[in-house]
Amino acid sequence: MIDLILIVLGLILVIIGVFCDFVGAIGLIRLPNFFTRLHAATVGAIGGAVIPMLGAALIALGYEPLGETRFILAGVAFTTSLITMVLAQAGSHALARAAYRARAAPLQPIIYDALSEKNGKGEKQST
Amino acid sequence: MIYDFVMSLLGVLLILYVISFTLYLVRVFKGPTIPDRVLAIDSLGYDLAAFMVILSVYLRSPLIAVCALSLSLWIFVLDIYVAKYLEAREMGD
Repeated sequence: MIDLILIVLGLILVIIGVFCDFVGAIGLIRLPNFFTRLHAATVGAIGGAVIPMLGAALIALGYEPLGETRFILAGVAFTTSLITMVLAQAGSHALARAAYRARAAPLQPIIYDALSEKNGKGEKQST
Repeated sequence: MIYDFVMSLLGVLLILYVISFTLYLVRVFKGPTIPDRVLAIDSLGYDLAAFMVILSVYLRSPLIAVCALSLSLWIFVLDIYVAKYLEAREMGD
């Protein structure tokens, strides 16, 4: 009975992950700017990678014909999901900071740039 | 009985993952600047790691999941390396 609950829960998590993956991919194509595409990429990383890995860990725990290797699979999947959950945000934040400071990405559709006022550069790069 | 249903459903979900990989590859090839391409490769790599974990459940072999662990670490190294490269070029000006 507990195996069936684990498998159904894992399948629901994997389906949520596939949905978030499609949302992230379409947003990465359709959004106009690098700093808005960052949001879609984070949806694709957290919703599309961390949640299906947790679902795969639950499926592997409840999947009886695997034998003893299901504990290995569940452990590796859980570890990978935890590592991705920490590292995806750190990496995308570092990339955004570098792209802003090096002016490598255009700031074209912009409403308000608080960081340039804080740095004392004024309206030189807004608009 | 329930196991056959779960495995066939996982096969359909794996095909959907492959379709979304092609959507990410559009941005990788089309991206106008370097951070766009790196960001798309970033999402592609994390989703590839999730794809490998689900594939190892589907094929019942734990060896593929171990590769996913090192892949997700390598993607973070790529991010930090490109960020350092961009900031160092800005310092040189």
